[in-house]
Amino acid sequence: METTDDYQWHAGRTTPVENAAIEFIGVKKAFGRNQVLNGLDMALPQDQISMILGPSGTGKSVCIKHMVGLLYPDDGDVLIHGESVPAMPDDDLFEMRKKFGVLFQDGALFGSMNLYDNVAFPLRQHTDKGEDEIAHIVNQRLDEVGLGDANDKMPNELSGGMRKRAGFARALVLDPDIVLFDEPDSGLDPVRTALLCELIQEIHAENGGAYVVITHDIASARRVAEYIAVLWKGQIVESGAATDLFESSNPFVRQFLSGESQGPLGME
Amino acid sequence: MSAINTKGNGWLESTGVLLRFCGRIMGEVYSLKVFKYFGEALRQCGILILSSTIVIWSLIFIIGLQCGIEGAYFNRSVGSPAYAGVFAAWCDLRELVPYSFGYMMSAKVGTGIVAELGSMRISDEIDALEVMGVPSLTFLCSTKLLAAWMVLPFVYLSGVGAGFLASYLAVVQQIGEVSSGGYQLIFWMFQNPPDLLYSVIKGMAMATTIVLVGCYYGYNASGGPVGVGTATAKSMVLNIVLVHVIGMLGTQLFWGANPRAPIGG
Repeated sequence: METTDDYQWHAGRTTPVENAAIEFIGVKKAFGRNQVLNGLDMALPQDQISMILGPSGTGKSVCIKHMVGLLYPDDGDVLIHGESVPAMPDDDLFEMRKKFGVLFQDGALFGSMNLYDNVAFPLRQHTDKGEDEIAHIVNQRLDEVGLGDANDKMPNELSGGMRKRAGFARALVLDPDIVLFDEPDSGLDPVRTALLCELIQEIHAENGGAYVVITHDIASARRVAEYIAVLWKGQIVESGAATDLFESSNPFVRQFLSGESQGPLGME
Repeated sequence: MSAINTKGNGWLESTGVLLRFCGRIMGEVYSLKVFKYFGEALRQCGILILSSTIVIWSLIFIIGLQCGIEGAYFNRSVGSPAYAGVFAAWCDLRELVPYSFGYMMSAKVGTGIVAELGSMRISDEIDALEVMGVPSLTFLCSTKLLAAWMVLPFVYLSGVGAGFLASYLAVVQQIGEVSSGGYQLIFWMFQNPPDLLYSVIKGMAMATTIVLVGCYYGYNASGGPVGVGTATAKSMVLNIVLVHVIGMLGTQLFWGANPRAPIGG
């Protein structure tokens, strides 16, 4: 049962986002009796690395699935570059998804294909490029993520970190306008997490576009985030430039971003 | 608007959801959208041919041997060993070839589809396909159905041949109470080309059902590896039941009114 206390830390303070790549407008989503998103209003800017932070189970991954139309809101709207995702017919939706690159938690590489074919797959499906050109692009992307020598390996021969980097290469191969990362740091040791964060920054600096990272790892947020939205109980607690959020006076945001046990966020 | 996971509550709703899902897969084939992924369909053809034909033919061959042996001993017991071909002709073509084809399709192809699609579902590979702008239902399911329709009629017809050969070997070569010519006279007298066509229709109805059921349970699998195992078991149960329902209805429809038995002139 939701009470007013549940939302006492939700300051509603958001920095206005001009030229938003992604907007959530009053989005509600429930799975059975579990209300995951509860009137979510959020805008994520173009050409910045944004992070959606929040405790486990607050609906961060559900947000990603709404962005790409894998889930639809029970109420409200999701806009990508001003176009409503739930209102799109199937053909438009598949076309719109070509704007996206998505890095899933475990890479979601196709188990029946080697690394090269995994990365080449979007190019073969959506472009008329010849095999020589595809090979050039794929090898370039694999080199960027440090997997240039592993292109004939099958996904089950790769470590968790390598699978994530391979998934990153595949997500980038069509030069997407928006790249989504679903907990890229999960299951990685701190050093590899730091290296992956550096890689995200480097490639964003080269390619631009809106990068959205879902995580609850504060160290990653400090390293790469330019814009932060803190999500809890299906609504934004506070969002804005990363520098502002790390200086926030909101007790919930302060506790979460400092990782302290004392504060409004408990085990419940 | 596409939905990724569609599961009904209760058997009636679940049946409706399954039928709608199957309708969508078949619709993608009939609307020719599947031909956008014809390369994948050809890959599925190759997988079917290389991984399933030998086991299907092997089972049908063994069943053909059994039909021949049963027919020979039964007809000997009633004093007409020369008529063993009657039993073999009907047993092979009308019943046991379709059934054994259905059993092996369920066990090898149907469960294989559930395991493949189920593992893709739980490892986010199907979501990955979708977000790459590839319609996963068409790419993964409709291509499998098209491949089945392209390959399996030939696999089935060859299987019928394997069953016929096995029955001939059992009756004429192994038991040997009827000559080759005598066996073949009776064997071919009790079947005709429409019977073969009806048998193929039975087999293809089973194959289509098995592929669709496999796709449904695999595509909608949830609950991790255990969920995939459960979905595989459920698909096997449903497929075995449906194979028998199709077999029974086919026999009634094709041979119920006119068994086409040249007995008594």
